[in-house]
Amino acid sequence: MANKPITGEQRVFMTGNEVIAYAAVMAEADIMYGYPITPQNEIMHYWTRLAPKYGKKFLQTEDELSAGFTTIGGVLAGRKAFTATAGPGNTLMQEPMSMAEMMRIPTLLIVQQRGGPSTATVIYSQQEVTMTTYGGNGEGFRIVYSTSSHQDLYDYVIKGFNTAWKYRFPTFILGDGYQAKMREACVMYDPAERGIELVKPTPYMGAPGTPGVDRKPSHMRNTYNTEEELYEVVMNLAKAYEAIIPEVVEFEELNAFEADTVIIAHGVVSRAAKGAVKELLAEGEKKVGYFRPITLRPLAVNELREIAQRAKKLIIAESSYGQLLKQIKEAIYGTDVEIHTILKPGVGITQEEIVAKYHEVK
Amino acid sequence: MRIVEAFIGEYASGKSENAVNRALELKNLGRTVNLVDLDTVEPFYTLTPIKKELEALGLKVLAWERNEVLGFGETGVLLKPEIRWALKNPGDVIFDVGYGVHGSRSLNLIEGIWQEPNLKVYAVINASRPMTREVDDIVEHVKSLDRVDGLINNTHLGDETTWEVIYDGEEKVLRAAKILGLPVLWTAVDQKLINGNEEMLQKLKTPVKGLVRYMPKTFW
Repeated sequence: MANKPITGEQRVFMTGNEVIAYAAVMAEADIMYGYPITPQNEIMHYWTRLAPKYGKKFLQTEDELSAGFTTIGGVLAGRKAFTATAGPGNTLMQEPMSMAEMMRIPTLLIVQQRGGPSTATVIYSQQEVTMTTYGGNGEGFRIVYSTSSHQDLYDYVIKGFNTAWKYRFPTFILGDGYQAKMREACVMYDPAERGIELVKPTPYMGAPGTPGVDRKPSHMRNTYNTEEELYEVVMNLAKAYEAIIPEVVEFEELNAFEADTVIIAHGVVSRAAKGAVKELLAEGEKKVGYFRPITLRPLAVNELREIAQRAKKLIIAESSYGQLLKQIKEAIYGTDVEIHTILKPGVGITQEEIVAKYHEVK
Repeated sequence: MRIVEAFIGEYASGKSENAVNRALELKNLGRTVNLVDLDTVEPFYTLTPIKKELEALGLKVLAWERNEVLGFGETGVLLKPEIRWALKNPGDVIFDVGYGVHGSRSLNLIEGIWQEPNLKVYAVINASRPMTREVDDIVEHVKSLDRVDGLINNTHLGDETTWEVIYDGEEKVLRAAKILGLPVLWTAVDQKLINGNEEMLQKLKTPVKGLVRYMPKTFW
């Protein structure tokens, strides 16, 4: 049996879903649990094509609730397990992901956002931001990477597994239907050859030995008797989560800490925003900058506050009716920067639209 | 003689782009051409968005239009009735067998396809695609497609394509074709890459077709 599909560095022409399947193999994932939904189907298709060649496994479950819970089961048994979904499937995934949040179970869920609410379109949106960052009946103790390109998908799937297993918080790769289906070149590599050490999974339940004799009992709970008991647990979760924020937060920026007007976008829209800022800078506009949160949870609050205190105007562009906007408003609460928006739920945003908006509001 | 060609192959290998360009090439020779969208998995991603544009160029395009169907991709896929009868139309017929997963078996949906004496089934190969990157992979892949009458080298890296990528792909496709006992019909090269670099074509061993890229317009 072949060891791994990629050796050295290979420049290839792919769809985003394929990139994810290859990245998962190269991250040494053991098993994918999944239920089909467009636009993430090819993650499953390619994983199932690769799996038999590299000793990996796949289970198609009866729905996303089950895919989420079986992923947790796989992880508890010591497997590097993952799943992928979109739209209404992501809604169903929130229940198992809440359990992972409560029990500190590392999970990796790849979300390829489609239009919403409900079934809507199978194509594209950025309308799953609120759900992916704060979904479920909890406090949003999770890590969400918003990718913008095929290279990001490859890099952050590999990184996402490590993040999940290192910090033991549910981790999400938030892509979208455009990234899922579009074709572009990227470089695939063996993480070991780049010095990336992959965190090995260990069984959280059913480990060798006798509980209480050779090892501590593994008592993972998601149910508690009293308010006080729960309060202590959640406050400890909050403390653990807040402690890792400085290590986990990621962002990208261009001139953002010097500009009067800063354009903020995440995911695939950030490519249009970055393109717009480069275009404006090339035209001689000096006071324009770009900021892209890569982690949407935790958000780069300190940097956003610094920008909001210095800049005069923000332009927030997203393919939703204000889901990123809401989080940024919370982050910069108390500053008096002017906020302008391009909010297009379920529709792509072009560089030209952002440039036009800049000229309109500057 | 009537030309009937079906373009099949790996997902995202360039089937639609080659089918569209081939249809327009035949149209520009003064022929009557039917272009058929036979993507039964995700028809909303393929020819539908450029149907009107292609019709304005003189093709007859057999594909759904947005206002004819509800809930593309989610409410099941309906074969447009005229597609089943595509071979009854006068003129050439070019099938874009989208998505790729069923190979030439998707053609079973077409009435009279296996009795059509002029039918040619071409597998489009992009050797920059990870699943068809090596000669053995290409051979194995083509064998999985059922009937194939020839290969098309469509090796590229999108906007990052270099001539080396194309030469290397041609070499691999030729070697795979030899093992399979199939001809390589042509190498497809983005016309933008050819313009001003015509001398680079001399190194190619197969005939060349310049591709005008229509498919980037279809996704958004």
